[in-house]
Amino acid sequence: MRILRYIGKRMLFIVPQLVGIVLVSFLLVKMIPGDPALLMMGPMASTEQLALLRSEMGLDGSIMYQFWIYLTNLVQGDLGNSWQTTRPVLEDLFMRFPATLELITLSLLLALLIGIPLGVAAAYFRRSVIKKFSDYYGLLAGALPDFWLGLILIYFFYTIFQIVPAPLGRIGFAVISPPPVTNFLIIDCILDGNWQALWSTLGHLILPVVTLGVITAGPILKMTQSTMERMLESDFIRYADMCGLPKSVVIRQAFRNSLPSIVTIVSVLYGFLIGGAVLVEIVFSWGGAGQYAVQGVLNADINPVLGFVLFSAILSLIIYLIVDLIYFAIDPRIRG
Amino acid sequence: MTHRPGQDEEDADVNVAGETGVETPGSSGLDSSWKSRLRFLLAVLASRPLFAVGYIIVIVVILLAIFAPLIAPYPPETANPTDFLQPPSWRHLLGTDLTGMDVFSRIIYAPRIDLTIAIGGTAISAIVGSLIGAMVGYYQEMGGTRSFAAGFIMRTADVLQAFPVFVFAIALVAIFGQSLQSIIAAIAFVNAPIYLRLMRSQVLSIRNMRYIEAAYVSGAGDMTIMLRHVIPNSMAPILSQLSVNIGWSVLLTAALSFVGAGVEAPTPEWGSMIAMGFQNIITGQWWPSVFPGIALGVTVFGFALVGASVEVLADPARRRALAGTLREKKRPGPPVNNAAGVS
Repeated sequence: MRILRYIGKRMLFIVPQLVGIVLVSFLLVKMIPGDPALLMMGPMASTEQLALLRSEMGLDGSIMYQFWIYLTNLVQGDLGNSWQTTRPVLEDLFMRFPATLELITLSLLLALLIGIPLGVAAAYFRRSVIKKFSDYYGLLAGALPDFWLGLILIYFFYTIFQIVPAPLGRIGFAVISPPPVTNFLIIDCILDGNWQALWSTLGHLILPVVTLGVITAGPILKMTQSTMERMLESDFIRYADMCGLPKSVVIRQAFRNSLPSIVTIVSVLYGFLIGGAVLVEIVFSWGGAGQYAVQGVLNADINPVLGFVLFSAILSLIIYLIVDLIYFAIDPRIRG
Repeated sequence: MTHRPGQDEEDADVNVAGETGVETPGSSGLDSSWKSRLRFLLAVLASRPLFAVGYIIVIVVILLAIFAPLIAPYPPETANPTDFLQPPSWRHLLGTDLTGMDVFSRIIYAPRIDLTIAIGGTAISAIVGSLIGAMVGYYQEMGGTRSFAAGFIMRTADVLQAFPVFVFAIALVAIFGQSLQSIIAAIAFVNAPIYLRLMRSQVLSIRNMRYIEAAYVSGAGDMTIMLRHVIPNSMAPILSQLSVNIGWSVLLTAALSFVGAGVEAPTPEWGSMIAMGFQNIITGQWWPSVFPGIALGVTVFGFALVGASVEVLADPARRRALAGTLREKKRPGPPVNNAAGVS
């Protein structure tokens, strides 16, 4: 089984890479000035109390000793506690990562819906308005700050037209949330059969998803367009065209051969958005994972930051693995 | 840096960068005197108005940064509490913010900070990143400790790039302390791997060229080969990356300030201005946030366009094609005439 061997080989590389990521982030976060013990107890704490708390938190040992403690805890699935939320980081992350994933997955879907048809059309009609439009779109989407676009959308659709709910979190305050099962609110609502909550959730999702989707569509559009252009100029497509195959078939064949690079850019964007959605999360008070990490950095709360970096590294590795599987499915040459 | 006549690869000025396409020896089809280069650039800009827009934006933003004190009607950091949240009017062209500071004046002062950080950070990352990248590319296949060190550097870059960019940048600012220098350092750090990879792949393809071999055989040392032959011929993609990267760094600076990890409040900076107006937008006062955002977007747009033009101009093949179309436009006539015009 070729594919299993392939995945196995990938897994071998993953472990040292993960240890490297954890080590670097640990050292990095340790360098941030600020004494967690002092921050926890407040300025009124006595020296003895502080010393006691420090030894409880393992802060009095050497850096390598602290890292060793962190690693042994990590293997047992303990990511430490956050002193801000006073809860285990693992629990916090299991609550917040789904919020981020729900947001960025839907945003990417929207971006694909905008980017792929536009890109294909722009590549096919090379001297048309569509091509001009998509050129401008690609440049503009790369230039607009997403957090600012979010604010503009809030201004128009919340402040002026009042057709979306207030940009505060994932679900309305007056709505009873469904019992958390997966923490993906949409799925939880459906599992619970709570249609009112589902409606509220979707309403809260619209603006952030549009914000991120419109911006993220830029790179997808550019990639689709340039690959499609190359494909349409390639010999096998010209041959198909000259043989008199219908235009739709020719385009479909060119598109199918452009898929690998589109899949690649989508995977890169997905990995980027896990952390890159932070700004939009902040604008919409989303309570996602990125926001959690940023709060951690700003308040010398190291465990959430480490947990976030670890989680997002693992997630991107999973994404790359899935991408490899997709390559297997769409490219017959690899299956061989 | 070595200087071949007529070549200024280190110059940050985009105008110069736009014209310095690096050519493989012996293939220069174009006259390389300064005047004709400038004329060529102007002709390109005339035929591609969008590129011209990019150059105009960049020049205007730089001029604003330099002459801000002369243009701005109000001091940028003086609050006038009686005049808070005034909508745009003749007295305050773009209105005032929550503390009564003039939005227009602050927008004009902002590129001083934003461009300093972005250009500084990008320049440092480009120089450091591409020097290390050139070393790695040059020594990678030489075996022994050098090859091992090169591999180690690349794995380190892998790990650094595996971090979520934004969280990484915030963490760096938190480590170095919140100051102008540390934001520049953070941006340089985040960008350096890009140049490292770019330069490495360039050098890898160039170091097997015949003229490198010839230089080696004729007894040139590693340093000479690298500085005189390898690096100058690898500059093209770096140059086109520079301008795009400056725009992107402006965006990152604004984003850092937006979450409160960048430039601090009273200093005029686009991101922190957007953050300050954040709460007002929900109650309907849109101007303190909207205008800085437009300024930010337009600036990034301008640098992206300049980057796109450099990409075309720095690629000898594309530039020659462009020169060809320009000539055809100027002299519509039989192709025989054209051939005469080239020589």
